[in-house]
Amino acid sequence: MKALLLCEKPSAARRIARALDEEGKPAERKIGRVPYYEAERDGKMLIVVPALGHLYTVAPKVRDRNVYPVFDFEWVPRHLAERDAKEIGEWIEAISLLSKGADEFILATDYDIEGATLGYTILKYACGGKEKEAKRMKFSTLTTSELRESYASLLRSIEFPMIEAGICRHLLDAIYGINLSRAMTIAAKRWSGKYATLSTGRVQGPTLKFLTDRERQISCFVPVPFWRINAKVEMDGQIFDVEYEQKTIKTQAEAARIVEECRGKRGRIEKVEVREFRQKPPVPFDLGALQREAYSLFKYTPRRTANIAERLYLEALISYPRTSSQRLPRTIDYRAILKSLRREPKYRELSEVLLDKETLTPNEGKGYDPAHPAVYPTGNLPERRLSVPERRLWDLIVRRFMAVFGDPAVKQSVRVSIAVDGHIFYLRGRRVLEEGWMLFYRPYIQVEDVILPPLEEGQTVNFKEVSWEKGFTKPPARYNPSSLLKRMEDEGIGTKATRAEIIDTLYTRGYVSGERAVVSELGLDVIDILSRYCPEVISVEFTRDLERSMEMIQNGGERMEAVIEKAIERLRPVLLRLKENEKQIGRELSEAIRKTQMKKRMLGGCPVCGTGQLIILRSRKSGKRFVGCTNFFKGLCKTSFPLPQRGILTPAGRACGECGFPMIRFKLKGRRPLTFCVNSNCPGKKRNPR
Amino acid sequence: MSCKICGRRAKSRFCDRHEEAYSSLLRTYEDWRRAMKISWTDYLKEVSENPYAGIWVKEVAAHLLNSDGH
Repeated sequence: MKALLLCEKPSAARRIARALDEEGKPAERKIGRVPYYEAERDGKMLIVVPALGHLYTVAPKVRDRNVYPVFDFEWVPRHLAERDAKEIGEWIEAISLLSKGADEFILATDYDIEGATLGYTILKYACGGKEKEAKRMKFSTLTTSELRESYASLLRSIEFPMIEAGICRHLLDAIYGINLSRAMTIAAKRWSGKYATLSTGRVQGPTLKFLTDRERQISCFVPVPFWRINAKVEMDGQIFDVEYEQKTIKTQAEAARIVEECRGKRGRIEKVEVREFRQKPPVPFDLGALQREAYSLFKYTPRRTANIAERLYLEALISYPRTSSQRLPRTIDYRAILKSLRREPKYRELSEVLLDKETLTPNEGKGYDPAHPAVYPTGNLPERRLSVPERRLWDLIVRRFMAVFGDPAVKQSVRVSIAVDGHIFYLRGRRVLEEGWMLFYRPYIQVEDVILPPLEEGQTVNFKEVSWEKGFTKPPARYNPSSLLKRMEDEGIGTKATRAEIIDTLYTRGYVSGERAVVSELGLDVIDILSRYCPEVISVEFTRDLERSMEMIQNGGERMEAVIEKAIERLRPVLLRLKENEKQIGRELSEAIRKTQMKKRMLGGCPVCGTGQLIILRSRKSGKRFVGCTNFFKGLCKTSFPLPQRGILTPAGRACGECGFPMIRFKLKGRRPLTFCVNSNCPGKKRNPR
Repeated sequence: MSCKICGRRAKSRFCDRHEEAYSSLLRTYEDWRRAMKISWTDYLKEVSENPYAGIWVKEVAAHLLNSDGH
């Protein structure tokens, strides 16, 4: 008997083969560059072979990229549809060859919509239609014990409703993405004669709309002045800041009057309010919460966090990270995990505190995922030296896991009301009375106690300082990758597996730039155009409706064919409208592309002529890059400086503190970026030539 | 018709972006006047130099200051 076990990635295949082989030493073989493993279990030969993620993709039957609309799609090997997937052909051939000698097929890819869909397409197309007879391994960690248990209790079939929903998602994304992106790219190319990849999609469009809406609010924001009262009181020889009863005062005259009435007076303590409250432990991490926490603590983008978490999962250090669950079911042996973590010196004491508890009950959230629990550490310790980001993320997951079993923290807040001449000021204090769960999560929370001296009602205090300060209202904050991910989650668009990737695409396309997502001219124009000609494709409702339909397919409440048909019927008139207005759209998009590309080269004002802009140019004669002034073309300014000829150059967005010339950012592949002044005669450079 | 500030397509003197910024300027002037009794010209000067003011608002304010009869 020979069984073929199909895994998602080479590292997962190695771990699964090692776990299932009775001696833990499977034979490693290769067909060309494709590795596979031969393991033995219960007298059966197991051929464990990895995929490389998806080996098949959805592509239009009409191959010409200049044609739209296209509604006929098929599954094809990825290397036939994507330029950067050459190795896939070899992979498909190897799996196909290995499948010929197998009597049994077992799908051991990730147990989620993507894992099931990629497994299904391989079983169907590469293994010659084995999808109906294949069995399924279901696991949430790659630990030896769970893999063996999963193999011993194989599911009788692969999860067809989930696969149907997965196929539907791929088809919808292709139908929307390919048609809309082609409509825009072709329009711009026909107008300007230049090719630039433009894209939008079912989720990408609404996500970009969130960003452009915010950008418009910020660009149209007018600050309004207000005034604040600042005051300090002296008690027991210590100085404390106090807050005025109104956070902001609307007029300067009123602010001046308040200051006049309070200055140099003594205040009387009217009331001392002490409040104790309990703060429950945090809930276990789902992927979104992990991505947000990693961004807030380490500034890792959601995509980076997902990649690191994936590596930790493949090393069997954490459970499957692509989960929406905030729950840790009782079937997980919490004590065994803590006992195992105790082997790591930094977790020894913390683990023992929890192990001393009679019962371990996690504080769970509402998030539920039928396929996987929340992210938790397996208890395994690293077999190799982890990189700094891997170590940080693993530590975060371990400490969060411990914290959810902690007791509530008890905190105390104090509010002292001080009256002076009919005005009230508040003095606030706070402290932690019982640390509870915070003990386990300490490096990741910052609590600063403000301890007040003993105070009594009726006591008088001396006002040391009272003044007013002018302030302005501020525009709404820009999204960052983390808050954008949260907005997508809240609006119910995209999936936990795709959101981070969609955010990355917005950056790659040049619609957005910087950590604080600044929308480019191009991003604004893409949404402007889509709002005018086809508002439905950037509507959240429209996308959410499709997401709901896909969920219903998974639950058996809807048929895939009906959902696809409905989507095409909605898209057909949209594409027609885009085609009818192709010329105008092409003109607007081309102009936006030109402006965005120009902005990438604009460094800042020219300090020599005072009216021109310094810009990165390329010499027509030598082809070399240099900095020149835009006034050169008018014969007004000859300022120019040489530039490095390799690497990526971008405006730094600030002027040199020494000479006032703009700064430029220089990045060579694999090196740290360097920011320098473009002025080769800058006095700063002469002092420090490096 | 094209926008007097950026040259984009416009229904009146400004494109939709600068028109939106102009409306925002008009709307907020009342708040400024209540706060500090300020003239329209001084208000435009203040806004065009304020670090929190939006880029389109600043462009409109600068345009109005430079044009006659703002």
